[in-house]
Amino acid sequence: MLELRNVSKRFSGIPAVDDVTFSARPGEVTGYLGPNGSGKSTTMKMITGLIEMSGGHIFFEGKSIQDDLIAYKRRMGYVPEEPYLYTHLSGTEYLVMVAQLRDLPGRQSAERIDAMLRLFSLHNDRHASISGYSKGMRQKVLLIAALMHNPQLILLDEPFSGLDVASSLVLRSLIQELASRGKVVLFSSHELDTVERICSRVVILHRGKLVADDSIERLRSLMELSTLEKIFSQLAIEQDPESTARQIAEIIYA
Amino acid sequence: MHELIEKLIARLPLDFRVLYRQFLLRVIDLESLSIQADVTGYLGQFAGVLIMLSLVHSTVAYLGYTFIPEPAARFAFCLHMEHYLIATTMLVIGLITVISWDATFPDRRDVMVLSPLPIAPRTILAAKVTASAAVLGLGLVTLNVASGVVIPLLMGAQPGPAWGFFQALPAWWFTIVAASAFLYGSVLTIQGFTSLLLPRSHFLRLSAILQLAAFGLFLGVYFVQPSLTDPAAMADPQNHWILASSPSYWFFALFNQLNGSLPAQFSWIAARAWIGLGLALTGAASSLVLCYIHTMKKTVEEPDLVPGPVGPHLLPPLGNSLQTAVALFSVRSLTRSRQHRVAFAFYLAFVFGLAFSLFRSELALPASSLVSMDLVISTFLMMFFAVAGLGSVFSLPISLTANWVLRTTQIRPSEKYVAATRRTLLLLAVLPTWLLAAALSLRFGPFPNAAGHLAVLALVGCNAVELCLVGFYKVPFTCSYLPGKANVQVIFWGFLVVMLAVVIPCAEFELSALHQPLRFFMMLFSLSAARTALWAQNQRRAKSAVLHFEELPDEIITTLGLSA
Repeated sequence: MLELRNVSKRFSGIPAVDDVTFSARPGEVTGYLGPNGSGKSTTMKMITGLIEMSGGHIFFEGKSIQDDLIAYKRRMGYVPEEPYLYTHLSGTEYLVMVAQLRDLPGRQSAERIDAMLRLFSLHNDRHASISGYSKGMRQKVLLIAALMHNPQLILLDEPFSGLDVASSLVLRSLIQELASRGKVVLFSSHELDTVERICSRVVILHRGKLVADDSIERLRSLMELSTLEKIFSQLAIEQDPESTARQIAEIIYA
Repeated sequence: MHELIEKLIARLPLDFRVLYRQFLLRVIDLESLSIQADVTGYLGQFAGVLIMLSLVHSTVAYLGYTFIPEPAARFAFCLHMEHYLIATTMLVIGLITVISWDATFPDRRDVMVLSPLPIAPRTILAAKVTASAAVLGLGLVTLNVASGVVIPLLMGAQPGPAWGFFQALPAWWFTIVAASAFLYGSVLTIQGFTSLLLPRSHFLRLSAILQLAAFGLFLGVYFVQPSLTDPAAMADPQNHWILASSPSYWFFALFNQLNGSLPAQFSWIAARAWIGLGLALTGAASSLVLCYIHTMKKTVEEPDLVPGPVGPHLLPPLGNSLQTAVALFSVRSLTRSRQHRVAFAFYLAFVFGLAFSLFRSELALPASSLVSMDLVISTFLMMFFAVAGLGSVFSLPISLTANWVLRTTQIRPSEKYVAATRRTLLLLAVLPTWLLAAALSLRFGPFPNAAGHLAVLALVGCNAVELCLVGFYKVPFTCSYLPGKANVQVIFWGFLVVMLAVVIPCAEFELSALHQPLRFFMMLFSLSAARTALWAQNQRRAKSAVLHFEELPDEIITTLGLSA
């Protein structure tokens, strides 16, 4: 289980994440939601160890991740929000490098990479430079890199970004399949329909603070709202979307 | 004056000015260093190195001229200096051309960003050519700022008309501008027509090879070609082909023709300069115009995805998996990134320059000459330049945003990363330089001495690697870089002076030790012990170090001096 206790992050004294506590359990897909700037990606980066916390603790399987960060990293797979890759490498070269950095056995990782490239329809372009890859292709490389070492904890920050319909359907099923096999999956996205379909519980963040942490079913019944979109709008959206759109159009026509 | 220049600049179209500024940044190519790179400061440092060179050249020319009593020998010395300075100017302009490779032609980024905007291709072309010309002009003027006056002064002092200096001065500046234009125009012509004739994917691959070939050619010609400025040597039919095929001699003849000091029998050499200049300028102009008409459209139509090259994609292991990953990442970054390739080429210029000049002096020696000071000093310097060059190129990041993968996959302690970097330095700097030195040592004897020197050189290389790793807790090409820390002028001259101060006594010591077995083994033992101590120290410090992915500025504490 992944557990965050009173986690905070301040940048120059300004809180980006403020006293957040929640947990993600094995066998479940936990959705992590919030509007832009709410602190989702900052939380993800703290969970991956990319940035340090200003306060609080993160536990994985009962142990603080800071106690043995190296052992923790061995068991974690991460897809970041933006598909930043070393674009001077080819898809295969990048994945082989990640496998080597993870100290995976050469032959086994080569076979895994090859098979996953085929299944993600990247095999024909595996030797092309990543600089020529579309956003969706880069996203697939990130997914393969995050999953090829069979991690116990899977952190997905906007994993559907740029994927075509077929690949999105595959990924949706894959996330559910991995969760059903006991993985801990924390999934951050703006696509509320997808979150509603694949997540068993959601955590909603607004201005760095936790505003909801429960199963979607319970939130629906508690708030007496029919969809996750409506729940999210009530908890985390301050603007009236129609009014904002009208104002933008007026500026364009002014 | 400043106001007048500003008024003139303000009259230029705004889109041209904006693009010129952007393209000037790209010619210098500081993107990998920092987004807020100080271009003016960088150009100032670059100009400082060249001005210093010019001062050294002019001092040598003036002193040499003053200390030679014979008028005929003085004139011969002047001719030698003339050719040397023209060849050096051509080398520097050639190296700037290599550094700013592709900068004059529209690339995919230009096409994708600028095509949707209401900007005429001719404005882009004009801004690109002006940006490239500005950097070349800066190099040309600063390299000749002192010698460009001293040489005409010396030539003007030769027997002849009283206005000799006033004839030699414009002749000199016209010649070096023409020589630079010839070189730059030739490169543009070759690049332009290659890009027009080949599919873009093939062109991009060939362009990288052409860049390195041009680099090797400029250096090779500069260091290998003999000095033939003496009229008797120039008249020798055996040297005819060298004069006919070497552009530096064409422009040497052109200067003397313009100065009125060229014997009529050598006018054909000057004619080659005129023909070459005409062809290069015509070729460059036509290829540039054609490229801006055709290539921009072609670039948009090219498919985004280019298949990878045919050949082995999985290279053999170069140590454990981390060492292999770091070494292959380094090789790929060096070979595929223009910025890194060119930055490393700057150091390789010294390595190959020394190798070429040693090779040239070797040719003049009988077979199996004794191991000499020349060989020892040259190979030591080659090793230091190779290791220091690769070490400094490692500090330039290739893609900071992609570094998250190294952070999230860091499942080994820091000392393992330092060990991987050590292996990469040994494989990519020490081993090739040692092999090059071994090839150059083949003609030297006796064999035990040559082998002994190679053993010393290998240990010197290992020590240089350990020195390079002191405080280097980074994965190559991944840590951000603060450009203000790189004071090119100070580092360049400082490194050269320190190296010469260290290398010359060490070379003398080694030469004497090669003939005394006990002393020689003591030297090997000392070098091995030093290497072991440095290695142990680096490993010990790396154990408690954290890998750096961001270079942070030193904390500055300002004392207000308020206490009594």
